[in-house]
Amino acid sequence: MNDPYQVLNISRDASDAEVKKAYLELARKYHPDNYHDSPLEDLAQEKMKEINAAYEQITKERSGRASGSSASYGGSYSYGYGYGGSQSYSGSSVFQQIRLAINRGDLTRAEGLLNAISDHNAEWNFLKGTICFRRGWLDEARRYYQTACQMDPNNAEYRQALNYMESGGQTAYQQGGTFGTDCDSGLCGKLCCAYVLCNSFGYGGFRFCCI
Amino acid sequence: MYGYVRPVLKELPQEEQDRFRRVYCGLCHTLGKRHGLAARFILNYDFTFLAILLSEPEESGCLHCFCPANPCRKREALITTPALELAADESVILAYWQLQDGVADHGFWTGLKYRLAARLLRRAYRRAAAWRPEFDQAARCQLETLAELEEQRCASIDRPADAFAQLLAAAAKEAEEGPRRRVLREILYHLGRWIYLADAADDLAKDAARGNYNPLRYRFSCEGGVLDEEEKRQLALTMDHSVHLIESAYELWNFGCWDPILRSTFYIGLFSVAKAVLEGEFQASKSCKDRKTKIGEESK
Repeated sequence: MNDPYQVLNISRDASDAEVKKAYLELARKYHPDNYHDSPLEDLAQEKMKEINAAYEQITKERSGRASGSSASYGGSYSYGYGYGGSQSYSGSSVFQQIRLAINRGDLTRAEGLLNAISDHNAEWNFLKGTICFRRGWLDEARRYYQTACQMDPNNAEYRQALNYMESGGQTAYQQGGTFGTDCDSGLCGKLCCAYVLCNSFGYGGFRFCCI
Repeated sequence: MYGYVRPVLKELPQEEQDRFRRVYCGLCHTLGKRHGLAARFILNYDFTFLAILLSEPEESGCLHCFCPANPCRKREALITTPALELAADESVILAYWQLQDGVADHGFWTGLKYRLAARLLRRAYRRAAAWRPEFDQAARCQLETLAELEEQRCASIDRPADAFAQLLAAAAKEAEEGPRRRVLREILYHLGRWIYLADAADDLAKDAARGNYNPLRYRFSCEGGVLDEEEKRQLALTMDHSVHLIESAYELWNFGCWDPILRSTFYIGLFSVAKAVLEGEFQASKSCKDRKTKIGEESK
């Protein structure tokens, strides 16, 4: 394993507070929410594992006892990703198949199944938006999510997806939330709101999953 | 590509400005050596940036060479590396197809300068295409898709942007397989998408006046070839989203000594260029001459 101090990018004589600060910064940077539905999700997960392991090792060495896991942040980050939300889903089996295809990364099949459905309900629009998002078609994704939210305003999953798009892809875990092409002062205000809103949900708050 | 992608040089320490300049001169030198004098004229910030992205984490050695733009002064240039060769070949292919696009878009008289430039670049292009057949194929294929979408007057901004983004992402294919290639692909895809949208916004007024295709004209109402505040916000939002996806991908790979330049571009440069483009202030600094003077001043 790599030197845990090197992984956290700190010197060996860093204080406990500095170690924790460095760890939290990195954990925030590589938090799964920043890579949800990204083709690089697995790389971010590996990075997160490495950071968690480094932090645990340092805490263990310093305290001289086998603890540390309780303090690590995002230790259970695989929870809810990709598969965790399936119980909340209650749609027809075709939509379920589409969700499975999206999660496998088989966008052609997902789109084929979706195009065969004539009833363009909220779920249809949400899934169409998700496929667009996976392709990098961010403007269309946002518009499909918008339609899904208009059709079913009480669905939390659709709302989270739209909020994420409305923040221009900034999650609560990204730093520099005020950076952006500042052509409208309202945007920063919205980002701050999104930040507070998300933090109030805990670290799973800004997630929107397919299944 | 018109030099939209750039670090904020004046905010970088001298050491980093010099490093950027060495790549700029190194790419120019490589273009000249591999493709002849005509190819040196395609040099711009975007291609320099591509060379940096494709480079190894450590800077290679330097050489002193004469600058054709300023023959009295010797310049420090990065010695030719496989990354510079790759960037040079891909730049020639991209520039050539862009000129062809210009030929197709204009009539006989207005298209004359594009035809002439394409003619001058043809030999260089043929050589580059023979060295990088896959990239040339990808460029050809995506530009055909783009032409079809233009023909259909496509009202989506994502679809034509996707064609250009796929084209740029194909530049990563020559890199060795593994996480680095995947990170590069993601960065280049969204960089391509961002460049396409920046270019569309920059050309909007001109395209509206001439009646040329521009996806923004069909996606938004664009009265009089100008975006209103809400439309600007929506466009900035989707462009910023691409930048944030670039940043997330960027954090997954160590780009070594290029980190300050890349970070300055992704975290500051792209936003300020987008702002200038959306405010209609970018065109003024677009001419090649301006850019060259600027880089000279900035890196002194």
